[in-house]
Amino acid sequence: MLAKEHTVFRLIRNWLSERVDKLVLWCTSVSFSFMIGVFLSFFARSRMSHNNGIGATGRLQVVDDPTFPAHSFFPPGKQFPARIRHASVTFLDDAMNCLRSLSIKLSEHHFDSPFDLEMNTGERSLFWSAASFIQFAKMRKEKYGVQYVEYVRKYPTALRASQLMLRRHVTSFQNLRYYNKTPFLFVGNDGIRRYAKYRALPFDGAPESGIDPNPSDWDVANQRILPHETRGRNYLKDEYARRIPREGAKYKLQIQLHTASCDDDPEVFNNMVPWDERTHPWHDLAVMDIDQVLDWKESTLTSFSLNNMPKSLGILPAKSIYDYNSLNYMRSHSEFARRMRLLSYKVFGMVPPVPDNDRRNESEWGV
Amino acid sequence: MNNQLLDTYREDPDEIERIIRECKRETHISYAQDGNFFTPHLRGINHAELGRSKMISSPFTIVLEWLWLQYERLWYMMHELKRRIFPRTDALYGTRTDTHLVGKLTFAGPRDRGVPIHHIRLEAWARTHWGSWRKLSNAVSDTTGQFDLPLDLRAARSWAVREIQVDIYQTTHIFFPEGRSEPREEVFECRKLPKSEITGMEYSLGILRLPLWEYRTDSTVPRVVVPTNDLDLPEKYSEGRLDAFYNQILPIELTKLQHMEQIRYAPETITLDTIQQDYPENLTCAIERKLPGYTRSDEWFGRRMMNGMNKGTFLPDPQEEGVYWIKYFGICGYDHNDKYALPTCRVKFSLSDTGLPLPLEIQLQGALNAYDRGPDKISVFTPNDQPNWDYAKRVVRTCGSVSTEVDEHFAGTHLNTEQYAIAAYRNLRLNPIATLLLPHLKEVSLIDHAADASLIRGFLPRATALSDRGLQDRIQDMMGVQDWKGWQPMTPISHAHYYARGEHLFWEVVGRYVDAFINTHLEKIKQHWFEIHRFSEDLVNHSVAVFGSGVTESADKELLKERLEYYTLVYGYAPSGGRRTVGGTLRIVSPITGATSFGETGEADLRHLRDACCYIIMTATYRHTWINEHQYDDLGEIRYNCGGLRFGTRPEGVLLPESDPGIAPDLVIGTEMLWFTNFLSRTEYGFITRNEEEDVNPLFRKFLLEEEKKFARLGIDVHAIESRTNI
Repeated sequence: MLAKEHTVFRLIRNWLSERVDKLVLWCTSVSFSFMIGVFLSFFARSRMSHNNGIGATGRLQVVDDPTFPAHSFFPPGKQFPARIRHASVTFLDDAMNCLRSLSIKLSEHHFDSPFDLEMNTGERSLFWSAASFIQFAKMRKEKYGVQYVEYVRKYPTALRASQLMLRRHVTSFQNLRYYNKTPFLFVGNDGIRRYAKYRALPFDGAPESGIDPNPSDWDVANQRILPHETRGRNYLKDEYARRIPREGAKYKLQIQLHTASCDDDPEVFNNMVPWDERTHPWHDLAVMDIDQVLDWKESTLTSFSLNNMPKSLGILPAKSIYDYNSLNYMRSHSEFARRMRLLSYKVFGMVPPVPDNDRRNESEWGV
Repeated sequence: MNNQLLDTYREDPDEIERIIRECKRETHISYAQDGNFFTPHLRGINHAELGRSKMISSPFTIVLEWLWLQYERLWYMMHELKRRIFPRTDALYGTRTDTHLVGKLTFAGPRDRGVPIHHIRLEAWARTHWGSWRKLSNAVSDTTGQFDLPLDLRAARSWAVREIQVDIYQTTHIFFPEGRSEPREEVFECRKLPKSEITGMEYSLGILRLPLWEYRTDSTVPRVVVPTNDLDLPEKYSEGRLDAFYNQILPIELTKLQHMEQIRYAPETITLDTIQQDYPENLTCAIERKLPGYTRSDEWFGRRMMNGMNKGTFLPDPQEEGVYWIKYFGICGYDHNDKYALPTCRVKFSLSDTGLPLPLEIQLQGALNAYDRGPDKISVFTPNDQPNWDYAKRVVRTCGSVSTEVDEHFAGTHLNTEQYAIAAYRNLRLNPIATLLLPHLKEVSLIDHAADASLIRGFLPRATALSDRGLQDRIQDMMGVQDWKGWQPMTPISHAHYYARGEHLFWEVVGRYVDAFINTHLEKIKQHWFEIHRFSEDLVNHSVAVFGSGVTESADKELLKERLEYYTLVYGYAPSGGRRTVGGTLRIVSPITGATSFGETGEADLRHLRDACCYIIMTATYRHTWINEHQYDDLGEIRYNCGGLRFGTRPEGVLLPESDPGIAPDLVIGTEMLWFTNFLSRTEYGFITRNEEEDVNPLFRKFLLEEEKKFARLGIDVHAIESRTNI
């Protein structure tokens, strides 16, 4: 690499380019949010991806004897109301090879909340920055249940992540492991700046279902149901709806922390690089008990936002569209899209539940 | 030979030698540069064809072509100017490596599906909006063909960058400026990447299947794919080589064209004699002018059989001491036409006091006339059977020439060298053996490609007894006795056996050179032994079947046995080597090594490598040069020697005097033959000692020049030995 000389010119140039980078990031985030808000959320009455889901409510209680640094938002034993939503992404067919999600809202309200968390299966993500996400969105090209063919071919890291994230033949949303991947800020009572990752797992430690032990390198983009599939389009949501009144669903929420320093490698923020558990152990944060299922309308109305976080637990600043933190930056700027979707329900009416018919491998509501 | 001349020879043999030397000098290659702007010319070696070559002769076309050349020159100048204004510097841009361009390189050919290209150099470059270059990364593919170009994302996505490309290099030449070896690499493939798609982490270029030195699938012998367009050639002739070719070919090309017109429009104005006179005088004509009848004498016959183009191998007679046999195998069951004779010739020699062979007996097996075509009939002639003895010698010369051209020249040197060239260019990059071999292997694939159309599918099937199919089969069979393992130079049978003695001397020079080279670069050779393994694997896997190995039922087992026995002597081929069976076929080329790293192998494999290198250099240089440069000497006089004697219509068949036009080649074949032998013998370029392109290792030149006097005593001019097979 070229040895860089410290000059005034370089200083000014870097200062300027930093501003330009931030402007580009802001423009990208805002324009993307606007496009999604207008064309997808409003006119199509659709979320960006997690349309096929089921909501539920319960309680979240912070553990009594936390092993993580004390934080005023998570005092020991504190209880929060919890509203969650599980989803299969991005198709309206539970039997497909899909990514599954768990979003948590520490509120009874479908919109407002002091703390929201969005998590997906798999420890890695399909994209790692705003720039990467734009390519991801551009290369979806979904047809008949096959998507991101070009994307996984061009980005081997995403291919490997897909293999880890996708779940087929899941027996229940309850027994999966969900990770938030991109770190958040964590400034505890001691004032030390840390970064935090969260994950949720079944309280009873039930083995995770739906993992393909030998995923294909060539067929990851094919998420279609298997040729002789007998499960219906809503089988997983139905299972969850039956499970909650019967036995409920109990989750363990955990936190992983990294103490920040000014010379941190940017890879610390990379959602494709899990932190080493030997140096960054998981700490139990809370236990979540879900005991009531929400109907379709309430589930659909429920929305989550990364802006719903205390400042000391919020998103990390991003410098450019290549910054790994730019993903959360973009997410936080999607508020417009979230509101447009809710507006569209008022204007055009609620989207219907996913029909249990033979239109398999669909990503849009049919008749 | 008349008695008076014979007496002169006996009284003063030095006088004969002096005349021969003088004639050799007179007929030696020279590079005459003449002509003017409107002189017709060729555009390339591949445009030299039988019949009418693609000459540019119309003044209008010449002007147009000149304008085109000016355009090309201007384009090149602009390109060069841009290169100078925006040089590609080696400094890498960026401060960290957070992005990786990854992929895998494999060969593209259908026979190479999934075969990785190892150790090939790649570079990632960014081009700015104002045209300058920024180097982002460089890397070398690993042994599995995988590559990883680490780069700084921000440097790649800088607003100043307009486009990003990955250049894949191949080694095209090795030069030795000021004595140092300097590989010349050229961009083989350039992949442009959409800048917006570079987003960090890994970006895969996928599996890049490169048409790099692809093996042909339509050939039974290992050949490289040479596309019809000039842009995608596996290699290119050097400018100097083309210039030498143009300078030499033009006069004889015009002569040939004139003959074609005469034959078509005024056949009464042309005969074989006038054709002969129109071409530059060759050695036999020159000697005939000074010593009439000498070139038809037994002495000359023996001399040329021993030290001429045919350089026959002398098989000691098992019964009679001091008596030898030379054999030229004829049709041997290969597909053939009914126009020309090609009997199997066996010539019995004894050695004269001068050490030169004197023919005692000639056996011709096979058809000699149009009426009795039995392949087994053997006719025996002795010097007492005049005039048939002289006619039989002519038949031997002719059959010997076909045998030498097809078996030894084309198969034994050209195609033999090409199989090593393909394997070398495909596999040798980091290993210093590339520096040793590539200078001697360049351009052979191109000239072989040119020979396919003009010689193998063009001239030979029309001028000799063998058909196209017959030639292909014979070439494949002859490749089945070419192996580096166990090869030794021809054993001299007398002090006058200059070819064999020269071959021994050259073999010693090559051995010294290769030993010195390997000793100097031993560590790196061991370090990159993987390349030697891949080189060996390609050689073995693509080589042809061992001669006669697939034959279970043969119509003529005796002939097959006889051929095998003789070829074993001629080509130093050891029937029982450590050869490998691949795909059910016992392959002729012995493996150099079976180990992918030197640690797994030992000194034995290093010796194999040394022997193989010596053999390759020997074949590409001395063995080829000898035949090639003697072609016009021995095949430059139509009545003396030709590719094939026609059966004619008389019961004597080919046993008729040279003056009989019924058995001599027809006019078209006559002019084409002289054109060809001129073309092949007289457009040489790329000599070891002249080192026109600084592509010969100075060590090799030094060793050769040290032996210059010894070679000169054998009548061999070291300055005429080519460094490569390129004609």
